[in-house]
Amino acid sequence: MFGLPCRLFCEIVMRNINIIVLSLALAGCAERGNRNEQQPSRDTSRTQPRQENTVNPHAGVDLSPMDMSYFPPNYPQQKMGKAVSDPPLARIIYSRPQLQGRKLFRDVLKHGEPWRLGANEATELELFRDALIQGRPVKKGRYILYCIPQQDQWAIRLNSNLDSWGLKPDSTRDVTSFMVPVTRSKFHIEYFTIVFEPAAEGANILMAWDQLEARLPIRF
Amino acid sequence: MRGVWLIGFVFLGLAAGGQDVPPLDKSPMDMSYFPVNYPVLKIQNKSTGSPVMRVIYSRPQKAGRQIFGGLVKYGELWRMGANEATELEVFSPVRIGGRKISRGRYTLYAVVNEQQWTFIVNRETDTWGAFKYDPRRDVVRVQVPATRTVNPLEYLAIFFEKSATGANLIVEWDHVRVALPIVL
Repeated sequence: MFGLPCRLFCEIVMRNINIIVLSLALAGCAERGNRNEQQPSRDTSRTQPRQENTVNPHAGVDLSPMDMSYFPPNYPQQKMGKAVSDPPLARIIYSRPQLQGRKLFRDVLKHGEPWRLGANEATELELFRDALIQGRPVKKGRYILYCIPQQDQWAIRLNSNLDSWGLKPDSTRDVTSFMVPVTRSKFHIEYFTIVFEPAAEGANILMAWDQLEARLPIRF
Repeated sequence: MRGVWLIGFVFLGLAAGGQDVPPLDKSPMDMSYFPVNYPVLKIQNKSTGSPVMRVIYSRPQKAGRQIFGGLVKYGELWRMGANEATELEVFSPVRIGGRKISRGRYTLYAVVNEQQWTFIVNRETDTWGAFKYDPRRDVVRVQVPATRTVNPLEYLAIFFEKSATGANLIVEWDHVRVALPIVL
């Protein structure tokens, strides 16, 4: 029961490590006050997250940076290059944790336990129009995405508890759930990755990390 | 030292990119909510009501350069971020520069000068930088004073601060800090 508050605390500490380091540094050597040009510290430990490379008193840069994937892929760049008349169909906003020498299902995740498919803020799927996911209709709008991983298949859940932090998915707010097979890939993916992979009449939401891949088919 | 770090960063990005998956951005994306830290407060049951708005932006680094008056030229339109255009999502209506801003998604830009900035709220979303910026799609332009800070900020930061009338959208980078007042 105490796991969540502890993890949340650690996460907030890590996210605000710069502020904490800054406070300590300022407390320790108030006269010197050279706060912004700390040298990046290269981490030799394989399990510790890398330290931030700079001190920023307002909003530190995350260890697991946020990213955004559109469908059609690279929609904003396409829009820049030529006249795109159709609006985008979907996008995912997620944060990208790193393996840093860890094995995914030995050191990071456990089978049967919820996994937030990201880091920090809960991973968000926005459908700009109604879609069919695995053949089931899903209304346009924003959803939280998370996962219950098992050995050979993952349950991908759409949830309505928007604008929340990913650590504590509230299953009472689940909208729907999809089972997808997990396959091994020859690639070794360091940063967790979600992209829309074009497929016939739509896309697969590809989730890839370590040597595992899962695909959730979506049609528009 | 920073160079070494950057090379390592790029290398990791390439390693992750072996399979047509996007490498990690040099200017990572980030998100700021108002109320501040809303997602964390929400799972701690400390939030009341819905979030008012959020900003999604990418964070370029100073990397030894002079930013304002250098990289960002005075008098020219600046994308106020990197990669995808900086996005303001409004969940419940607010007022900016006397204009009502309805629920929805908007892009943010600025025309930067030494003494003051002009913030631009535009309705063309899902775009890249300011390359296709179209002033006909502007919702409002607001002029605000720019202040000089003592210590330079390495990464561009955009975030909200509570104010007497609602919130200020703070933009700070290098030696400059600017606040766009938002009335709730």
